[in-house]
Amino acid sequence: MQWSSTQHQGCIVASPDGRVDEATAEAFTEHLSSSVALAADSPGKKLIVDFAELDYMSSRGLRALTLAKRQADAAGVAMALARPNEVMREILAISRYDKLFAVTDSIEAAI
Amino acid sequence: MLVRFWGTRGSLPVAATASIVQDKVAHALLAASGRTFADLDEARTFARDELDFATGGTFGGATTCVEIEAGHPANGAPYIICDMGSGLRGFGLDAMRRCAEGHARVYHFFMSHLHWDHIMGFPFFVPAFDPNAHIVIHAGHEDAEEALRRQQEEISFPVKFDWLRAKIEFRTLKVGETYQIGAVQVELMEQHHSHSSFGYRFTDAEGKVVVFSTDSEHKMDRMEGEADVEQFFGQADLVICDTMYSLADSVSMKEDWGHSSNIVAIDLCHGGRAKRLALFHHEPVYSDADIARMHAESVRYEELTREHDPLEVLCAYDGLEISL
Repeated sequence: MQWSSTQHQGCIVASPDGRVDEATAEAFTEHLSSSVALAADSPGKKLIVDFAELDYMSSRGLRALTLAKRQADAAGVAMALARPNEVMREILAISRYDKLFAVTDSIEAAI
Repeated sequence: MLVRFWGTRGSLPVAATASIVQDKVAHALLAASGRTFADLDEARTFARDELDFATGGTFGGATTCVEIEAGHPANGAPYIICDMGSGLRGFGLDAMRRCAEGHARVYHFFMSHLHWDHIMGFPFFVPAFDPNAHIVIHAGHEDAEEALRRQQEEISFPVKFDWLRAKIEFRTLKVGETYQIGAVQVELMEQHHSHSSFGYRFTDAEGKVVVFSTDSEHKMDRMEGEADVEQFFGQADLVICDTMYSLADSVSMKEDWGHSSNIVAIDLCHGGRAKRLALFHHEPVYSDADIARMHAESVRYEELTREHDPLEVLCAYDGLEISL
């Protein structure tokens, strides 16, 4: 799994690439944690996880998102999930994670 | 090996109300629109084969009780029962019928834990009044006897535990040991739940494996420990797994309530390369339609995340029998 972070209009946009499963969940968790810390120091105090290049995510990845959200809440950082593919959109709906997170069709909509 | 579900609901027994039944009848009438039936049998066939399960049937409302039939009753194989929820009453009545036909009057119980919904059936377990019955209650907990005696104290129930006529024994099992009990080998695993709970892995002489894992929360901050759970589920022919909540509920408002989700259960079964999963310990506020929707979504999630052989995702209901 690849990972990159950029800043858009004061917000951190973190972009995982690949799949989050048992093998990559730990790295995903660590990257998320670092991105929350980056977002805490950014002017917008917002972390947008860009799902555009994410193939799919198992429950470990979803739970890592929850851990990151707790870290974000404690640091006063808002979190949003942007541009999920059709598979990820289904997984977010089945797990009801679309009730826990703001999910948007574009980065702009998440800002 | 045969697995028979006598109670599949979590936490609290539930029953259909008049309005629920009327709603099912209304849906059935709509589905049958324009059809006529020669007799009741033809109508029953329509209800069984053509109506969706949530309309023509029900997942039921009795709390946890699962029977595992292993070995041959004709050769004296004893009963094996997981938990004593309100579904135990129905099992007890059926067991008396089978005993009258020659089944051994020996009952081996395996207790996931001792919370009320998992023991409430025992005061209504008719074989406990049979002086020729031998009941062995296996548990990972050392306080199983205290829990069962306490619920039959006079303040809670009119029949004292000491008035029961069967020979009743309690045996504490240890994690890491393998026990030969009746026609199965039994191993257990400690699980995260209030006052702890235990999962059981049963293997029969033919190598068929059933795992019974209910009332088990898989904590976010201990995900590394899930490899042990996957190993316990490894290659199982059937995993009966607590899937009470959505994943989102289990990590938010219902965190630390001691239960798992359909999503985590499927991931654990995938990790262990189990063959079948029975969704179990249904949320008592769920309607039949809610449970059917959860089942359909679970089947879809399994498809979306499958990396190896397919995992068959079944939805347990009171009365379901699965032959392995």
